[in-house]
Amino acid sequence: MASFDASGIATSGGVRFLGQRQSYWRLLIRGAALLMVTLGIYRFWLVTDIRRFLWSNTEIAGEALEYSGTALELLLGFLIAIALLIPIYTAFFLAALDLALLGQLSGLIAFAALAVLGQYAIYRARRYRLTRTVYRGLRFHQKGSAWAYAFRAVAWWIVTVVTFGLAYPFQLASLERYKMKNTFYGDLAGRFEASGFVLLLRGLPMWLLFFAPLALAVRDFVGLDWQALLDALAQGGDDVMGKIEGGNPGLGSVVVFAMLMAGISITLGALLYPAFQTLILRWWSSGLRFDDLQVRSRLLMRHVYGAYARFAGYAGLFAVAMTIAGTAALLLTDALAGSDASGQIATTLVLLIGYVITALGISTIYRATVLFSLWQLGMESLQLSGVSALEKVKASGRPSSAFGEGLADALNVGSY
Amino acid sequence: MNSGTGIYFDGVTSVRREAVVELTPAALKISGPDGHLWGEWPYNEIEELAAPDMLRLGRRGSPTLERLEIRDPAFAKEIDVLAIHVDRTGLLQRRQRMRVIGWTFAATASLVLVGWFGLPAIAARLAPVLPASVERKLGDAVDIQVRGMLDTGKGGAPFECGTAAAETAGRAALDKLMRRLEAAATLPIPLRTSVARRDEANAIALPGGHIYVFRGLIDKADNADQIAGAIAHEIGHVANRDGTKAILEGAGLSFLFGMLLGDFIGGGAVVLAAKNVLQSSYSREAEAAADTYGTELMNKAGGDGRALAVILEKTGGATEPGMKILMDHPETKARITSINRLAAARPSVPFLEAGEWAALKQICAGS
Repeated sequence: MASFDASGIATSGGVRFLGQRQSYWRLLIRGAALLMVTLGIYRFWLVTDIRRFLWSNTEIAGEALEYSGTALELLLGFLIAIALLIPIYTAFFLAALDLALLGQLSGLIAFAALAVLGQYAIYRARRYRLTRTVYRGLRFHQKGSAWAYAFRAVAWWIVTVVTFGLAYPFQLASLERYKMKNTFYGDLAGRFEASGFVLLLRGLPMWLLFFAPLALAVRDFVGLDWQALLDALAQGGDDVMGKIEGGNPGLGSVVVFAMLMAGISITLGALLYPAFQTLILRWWSSGLRFDDLQVRSRLLMRHVYGAYARFAGYAGLFAVAMTIAGTAALLLTDALAGSDASGQIATTLVLLIGYVITALGISTIYRATVLFSLWQLGMESLQLSGVSALEKVKASGRPSSAFGEGLADALNVGSY
Repeated sequence: MNSGTGIYFDGVTSVRREAVVELTPAALKISGPDGHLWGEWPYNEIEELAAPDMLRLGRRGSPTLERLEIRDPAFAKEIDVLAIHVDRTGLLQRRQRMRVIGWTFAATASLVLVGWFGLPAIAARLAPVLPASVERKLGDAVDIQVRGMLDTGKGGAPFECGTAAAETAGRAALDKLMRRLEAAATLPIPLRTSVARRDEANAIALPGGHIYVFRGLIDKADNADQIAGAIAHEIGHVANRDGTKAILEGAGLSFLFGMLLGDFIGGGAVVLAAKNVLQSSYSREAEAAADTYGTELMNKAGGDGRALAVILEKTGGATEPGMKILMDHPETKARITSINRLAAARPSVPFLEAGEWAALKQICAGS
């Protein structure tokens, strides 16, 4: 931690983060406990606390940001979103009962509709967050059409999936251009200048490392005798596997090889992920512009790896502690309640509570290690030039409703 | 000291201004170094905003976001004393937060109560008034799901027994058994009963009157009355509309705990836990009611009511997790006792002749 000096002296063009990790831990742990006993209702307050902490501790050119949103706004936005989603969900439920073509396709239609709605919510939620971000007594705001963004985003996702991720840099650049050209600090217009092609070139080695093992496995699969395989499957019977083996002597080794390659690919993906994240964050930050204000990021990869290492360490300790506590709790329930009906229910309850604590614990650790560090490192690695552009900005824009946040929350696409 | 310095942002431009701050009895006055008055904030309109290492003030209800920053701790303390809504000890905020926590607790308790009492009550009132056609559609949709789960297609034989030539005698025996039960039950909707090619000792009832008896149950039974008892229990589920109720309850629970409470770092897990506990409480009551109905139906049909208790005891230990089934509840002993209490003591007429029972045993022999 000593290397990211939080108490350093602010340079006129610098960004500082003053938040104490310890206070953040406290905030998150208390929040997780309250989330558990309120079945999640407390999240509006927790998310507001988190944002207030992160925003107010971030100082740009000597002035701290401010988050002016409130939990009640989020709650209201969520309730509005629910009011909109109930009829939609009811319609899909009824359509699913219908055995006609529409009913058969209702799952697919629902998926497509909710994908667009999710992107719409993401854009609206960003608008809410921006209009609640105050700097030097002026708020940010966002123009543009959320529907236009949503269709653009969904179209890009399709292209990205079809190209196995090769279009992803262009997707990011295009969507970010749309967001930033509609982003304003007061009357100061933003824009995005990073190029998708540059990101593609930088990310290509990682892409190759990830996909090469998979490509090898696929090549072997293509070489199989598919006709014999399909025949064996169609015939069925008790010894399907035996028949498949008979038609394709090499199948076993191909499957083993494919599993091995998939394992290598997943391992590489996990190991490369922090590097990938660093790459994206540095590229993205360096593309941000507000009039003459330019941003350059010097985020270091090893610091991001450090954050993940800390996460792994804490998560490991937590897992060990949970295993010990869980075993003790199960033994205790067994001894107290016996193995009859009430004992079974008690055991189920212990398992469920253990699961809930584990899920909340891991996500709390993730927020306090990885997300906290990414925010801190991401902010402190920024170098600003043309800061004088911030001096003579005029107020503009109105606060937007939290409907988008509520919708994003209800559709599980929210962020902090 | 009733004056100090601060940094002032007027909320109209981003210009950072050095300000002179004066604490008069009624209000906080902000003016420029030249004495020009920039603002006059009554103490009850001043609010504190989060900021590190300083006191950051705003004005409540102001259309602009004018801000005053005080960096001198001693002067900040003086303002704290005068402005009611500013409380640097955090006591005010803590009290407010406790109120929030109290209300969210109340909301949680109310949701759990709605889940516990409200949903079953709604489902119980809604299910009987649902038109038979809707229930049948619901049943068909569930049937597709159930078949998808249970029909492994192993061995290439159809999922439902009783279609092959060697199985028709068994099918006829089942039909005879069903005719007697249906005549006694006098349900408003026709039943569709079939034997499923599954090894578990079980039976399930779907909404709309579709009953599956698993082959494993027939293998385990000693006589036709035990099968009749198990089917009578399932007819109880059909008569009580338990399948429809379960779907309505499931939809209500998903909605209540899933969408309403949403998802936030692991919140989904909490929801899952609450749903599981609630749903198991619904089904226990439904099983007891189906036992009562089944035993009384057996009495009415002139069969042996205790046969249900016997088959329950025989299969009590063999349960499959994750399925909503006849024998999936732990209080088997209590159930057996109450069935035996209800069962008529008079002599009964067996549901099937010995030959028919032997044929029923072979209903899945076709492959």
